Amino acid sequence: MVVDIAGFQVADWVALVPSLILGVTAMLLFIVDSIEPRPGTSSNTVLAGLSTLGALGAFLVAGYFLVLGVGQPRGTGAVDLFNGQLVVDGMSLFFVVIVGSVTALVTLASYDYLEGQEYQAEYYGLVIMAATGMSLMASANSLATIFVSLELSSLPSYALVAFLKKNRGSVEGGLKYLLVGALSSSVLVYGISLVYAASGSLQLNAVADALAGGSSVPVGILGVGIIMVLLGFAFKTASVPFHFWAPEAYEGAPAPVSAFLSSASKAAGFVVAFRVFLTAFPEVGGLAGGDPMVDWVTAVTVLAVVTMTVGNFAAATQEKVKRMLAYSSVGHAGYALIGLAALNAPDQGFVLGASMMHLLVYGFMNTGAFLFIALTEHWGIGRTFQDFNGLSTQAPLACAAMTVFLFSLAGLPIGGGFISKLYLLAATAQAGSWLLGAALIVNSALSLFYYSRVVKAMWIEDPSADLEVDSYPSSLYAAVVIAAFVTFALLPAFGLLSPSAFDAASVLFG
Amino acid sequence: MAGAFDFVPAIAALPLLAFVVSLFAGQYMPKRGAEAGILATAGSLVLSIWTALTVAGITGSATSYNENLYTWVAGVADGAVTLRLGVLVDPLTALMLVIVSLIALLVHVFSLGYMNDEGETGLPRYYAGLGLFTASMLAFVFSNNLLMAFMFFELVGLCSYLLIGFWFREDGPPSAAKKAFLVTRFGDYFFLIGVVGVFATFGTGLFAPITEGGTVVAESFPQMAEHALEDGESFFGYSAQTWITILGMLVLGGVVGKSAQFPLHTWLPDAMEGPTPVSALIHAATMVAAGVYLVARMYGFYLLSPTALAVIALIGGFTALFAATMGVVKQELKQVLAYSTISQYGYMMLALGSGGYVAAVFHLTTHAIFKALLFLGAGSVIIAMHHNENMWDMGGLKDRMPVTYWTFLSGSLALAGIVPFAGFWSKDEVLFEALIHGFGSTGTLGTMFLVAYAMGLLAVFFTGFYTFRMVYLTFHGDARTDVARDPEPVGWNVKGPLSVLGIGAATVGLINMKPIADLTGLHIDFLHKWLLGPEEGGWPALTSTGLHHYEELMHNVAGIDPAYPLGETTTLLVSALVSLSLALAGVLVARSLYNEPEPVEHTDKLGGAKTLLMHNYYQDEYQVWLAQGVTVPLARAADKFDQGVVDGVVNGISSVSLFTGSRFRRIQSGVVTNYAALMTLSLVLLLVVFVVLGGGV
Repeated sequence: MVVDIAGFQVADWVALVPSLILGVTAMLLFIVDSIEPRPGTSSNTVLAGLSTLGALGAFLVAGYFLVLGVGQPRGTGAVDLFNGQLVVDGMSLFFVVIVGSVTALVTLASYDYLEGQEYQAEYYGLVIMAATGMSLMASANSLATIFVSLELSSLPSYALVAFLKKNRGSVEGGLKYLLVGALSSSVLVYGISLVYAASGSLQLNAVADALAGGSSVPVGILGVGIIMVLLGFAFKTASVPFHFWAPEAYEGAPAPVSAFLSSASKAAGFVVAFRVFLTAFPEVGGLAGGDPMVDWVTAVTVLAVVTMTVGNFAAATQEKVKRMLAYSSVGHAGYALIGLAALNAPDQGFVLGASMMHLLVYGFMNTGAFLFIALTEHWGIGRTFQDFNGLSTQAPLACAAMTVFLFSLAGLPIGGGFISKLYLLAATAQAGSWLLGAALIVNSALSLFYYSRVVKAMWIEDPSADLEVDSYPSSLYAAVVIAAFVTFALLPAFGLLSPSAFDAASVLFG
Repeated sequence: MAGAFDFVPAIAALPLLAFVVSLFAGQYMPKRGAEAGILATAGSLVLSIWTALTVAGITGSATSYNENLYTWVAGVADGAVTLRLGVLVDPLTALMLVIVSLIALLVHVFSLGYMNDEGETGLPRYYAGLGLFTASMLAFVFSNNLLMAFMFFELVGLCSYLLIGFWFREDGPPSAAKKAFLVTRFGDYFFLIGVVGVFATFGTGLFAPITEGGTVVAESFPQMAEHALEDGESFFGYSAQTWITILGMLVLGGVVGKSAQFPLHTWLPDAMEGPTPVSALIHAATMVAAGVYLVARMYGFYLLSPTALAVIALIGGFTALFAATMGVVKQELKQVLAYSTISQYGYMMLALGSGGYVAAVFHLTTHAIFKALLFLGAGSVIIAMHHNENMWDMGGLKDRMPVTYWTFLSGSLALAGIVPFAGFWSKDEVLFEALIHGFGSTGTLGTMFLVAYAMGLLAVFFTGFYTFRMVYLTFHGDARTDVARDPEPVGWNVKGPLSVLGIGAATVGLINMKPIADLTGLHIDFLHKWLLGPEEGGWPALTSTGLHHYEELMHNVAGIDPAYPLGETTTLLVSALVSLSLALAGVLVARSLYNEPEPVEHTDKLGGAKTLLMHNYYQDEYQVWLAQGVTVPLARAADKFDQGVVDGVVNGISSVSLFTGSRFRRIQSGVVTNYAALMTLSLVLLLVVFVVLGGGV
């Protein structure tokens, strides 16, 4: 097959170049490491540089494809690959942009964070492989490829969480993540098998066609399958009730890995959920009109409200900043779930697009917040709120950046988080889903409380006598500042990016 | 070609520039910023005079100007209000611009002697304050709409606050500044509601219609009110008449506060804590006039409400008498002047209320000159007396400071209303207008005017008395202290402004010698003609702020007409003679009591009245009681509600949230088998709810 990209007639796999770049980068990292196989001998600079370049390349190519119209109605139209097992469309490219940018920030920040650690090559290799898996999740269009790519992103993640092998929290978090992940994967794969049993197909469009049959569909089997698939994705997005791994894995993991998992991995989980439920199950859920066979929209609504509430309320009572951010990350999964919950709205593309934009902004602000934690871990100051007291006297730039992240996360008009939350609220209002809207408002108000605690500690409290910041790691700083700048810039530039999200989203609704 | 009207904004912009320069560069200048202020106010004066000449038709053909210059809030929807800044120039504006910039220039020069030569510190702040005040006052004067006027009204209030509290390290000034700010703010609160009411009712705050090529493109609110009254419209359930009265009274709240009328006059005597040039500029000649000027500016609106006119006249007459009696017992020079200022503004309000538009503007003009003179003269005496203001410590300064004495005497004769000094002509016209309108107007309105007239007339006696008590105590007799025997000499920068104003106080009355004009048939009532305009066309047709229009309204709407109980000429002469003889009587009583080498206090003879007057009729006491006895308990109750109910609810929500949070936190037990169990259980629960109960099986 041949597609037309920017006037060139090229083979259709070219549309998959962003994912390929990530895969090739992972291979290159292995080759570089195999030149000097003894642990700790490869050049950190080369490894970090290569990974960052690869991630940036994927980000830039995906962004360029989005601008060119690859996979979108105004350009080539959705590019189906391998008999529809993979698809490249606006949404997949949009999420590769998120994954690529977060990965680039994380690998950039890791350069300083990993200073003096062994097994650096393995670290970067795992990160890039997980990123490859995530980018493939964005394109996966069949339950089989979805499961494989999901595992491709999960397995390196388990190892990454436990990367600090001599750190008890890291190993414990990794093990719990693995165990919960194993349970979740089994639930997911069992759910997939039930959907296959009910529809006779794994390719999503074929599943949708099969299920459009009506009376002949075994609804009981299908229902159990759909709920199990939903919960399988809840694991990946760290949504209640499969969120249990998140607080401990995020807290125990090296902070850049926490940033990576809570931003990129979550976004990848969402793109899979969006694609499966909106490609394969729209009629089952009653989106095409008529009574739903399995009311997964209501199920998602319930999960969204519970996830928001549990995440934010639990975050409010934490003593450690990193764990607070972990719970806030759970809460944000609840916000993003609105994209699948408020689908009664007349303009469904707006609802889903709002959710996608929230994930984009979240990618920068949450990554930045965790990278700030990485900075404090690098400095060796403690983890509780009190340990941050007066930090602004030592590191005003980083603290200003962190303030931007936190306030944007809370939804104050200092960064893109304000507009994305506003759009989500507008989406709930359009759908007339007052429960979701009220939950969004109440939880955002509550979140301001615990985010402000960090800001207050940094700027208002007096520093303790022994607080001293002795180094200013340049790449970590750069990553934090870039993230802060983008978070801030997304406030005025939001309108530049949101059309591509809304267009990509409305395609899924035909 | 650019005419004078294109430069009107610069009249206010120049002092604003001086404000910036003095504030930031004042400390590097030899006179600490005074240079900038003097240059700017001189420039403003030149431009103001040019503007006035243009209005007079001498340097241009257009004799009025009314344009919107800047839109800062554009109303989008139909009927939405658009907020603009603009310039209105008519003879009233032009006159006031000249007065304000002239006094401002003289006060800047005088300040060189009063502040710089006395070695005060913080002068850049002082000159910045003067500059900002002058800019705001001038912009207030040429405002073309009510909201813009309100904004600059507030700005002059702010400057007054800053300058009264200039010596903020002492005890008195900060307290006086706060009092001035709070009391005037109380009045401005009503003014603000009035502004909102005017905008809500008419959709515009324009004082005069804007015309383009002969057609009206934007109507003014006094005109719209007039039409509404003719058409018998009603607003918000009130008849047009009632509603106009309500709006007028609300705006009057600001006027009463700013022009220190009863019952909001209490701030002005305390404001004397500020530097004396500030008292002269702000608390005598200009800012206090802002209230009266505002009424004159929207006179076409007030004329539609006889009730509001009666209230204005009564407030004015009462304040004139009330303040004059308090001035009788004061011992400090500036205190006497402060009460006299309140009293004189009472006359202007009396004139406006009783239909004497020209008289009010005339008295505003003469008063600005002679009261600024008296304050600057007092400032000169205060320099000489090393900042001792008690008149009982002075005496005999006549021979030692002749320039100050003669100019001060000129101002005092003007204030007392002795012919031919300025105050005589204007005060006589005020009283005459009140008298004839009192006889001529129908119903209770006429009675009210006569009551107000009687109070104003009685106040003439007290004015003459306290003025010359002050003069005799300060300048005549023997020196009563060592300082008075050897006063500090004052420089040219003090004598110069005094001389200019001294001549002014003697002569400015000549601009409107109405009695002479009527008796002789000579057309020398220039101010009257200035405000009357041409019979046909010209600026009155464009702005409808001319005297003809006002007289029509007076006759048609309010039913105010002149009547002459003794024939026109006789009434005029009798009125003038009565007020002059009362003034002379006051002067003579003061002379018999205090023109001795060693005068003694006679206030004890007043008995109980002395205590009452010394305590200013307990006005301060009752206002303090209002604040402490009424407002504080109310505020406490509100605070209780806030602390108890509102905060209680908020705290309750937060503790419930935190409690819930801690429960949610416990779900995360840290034991991974618990997690697996919970996950499985919730999977089962979801399956039950959405598959089994959802009708799947």
